[in-house]
Amino acid sequence: MNRSLIIVMGALALCGAIFAGSYFTARHATMVCCTRSADDLSWLQTEFHLTDPEMARIRDLHQGYLPKCGAMCAKIAAKKGELDALLGNSTNITDEAQAKMNELAALRAQCQAQMLQHFLAVSQAMPPEEGKRYLDEMRQFTLGGPGQMEQSMSGDTDHEHHH
Amino acid sequence: MKENNQLPADPQFSALLREARVSPGLPPRFQQNVWRRIEDAEATTKPVSWLDVLASLVLRPRFAVAAATLMLLGGVVAGTLEGRQMAQHDAQMNYLASVAPESVR
Repeated sequence: MNRSLIIVMGALALCGAIFAGSYFTARHATMVCCTRSADDLSWLQTEFHLTDPEMARIRDLHQGYLPKCGAMCAKIAAKKGELDALLGNSTNITDEAQAKMNELAALRAQCQAQMLQHFLAVSQAMPPEEGKRYLDEMRQFTLGGPGQMEQSMSGDTDHEHHH
Repeated sequence: MKENNQLPADPQFSALLREARVSPGLPPRFQQNVWRRIEDAEATTKPVSWLDVLASLVLRPRFAVAAATLMLLGGVVAGTLEGRQMAQHDAQMNYLASVAPESVR
């Protein structure tokens, strides 16, 4: 093989190794550094540029919300267990299973409403612009876009519907 | 020389004088010019490819150090930005996990 080609290829490989080594080391170091001593709410403060008093108010709201959320989660998990037990060996959906599904859906809706209520309260503890952005983002994450699922299933959009 | 001409003719000495040649001194920078002409001749017969130029560039210590430094700095900057973004994403996911359980999302 051409000597010059070997030299150029070797140089390129060395450059790639140096870049990759420094890239992964810096990425790991930054992640370790940024995630250390960060609690669940640290993201809110940096993302929405909140002051300490605003954070203190939000922290109170968060602490008040967590037990309610936990209790609701426990109810949902219990109802899901009951539904799983009913559906376990059956080959069709009985009236009882249907009723459990309705109860589960109602619990989930209740939980979502409670969650949205919390997001509203948190957004009101922020400056108006940041609060609006927070609320939009939380809606996006928790409920998805407006009618996203329905749109995708209805065939109104130009996506391909595979069966 | 006049004195020599006046000497009685010596056939052997005359023959030696005829054979003797004065070698002229080499012109200035003779050796360098020879090498330059050799190099020029080689250059016209075998053109240097871009790969050879690149290889000779790569082998220069100054260029090698500069390229290595550039790669190192580029990697550090890109890694730091990516790491910060990933840490932010992780923090966001942690917050969401704490307020919005998977079962209702």
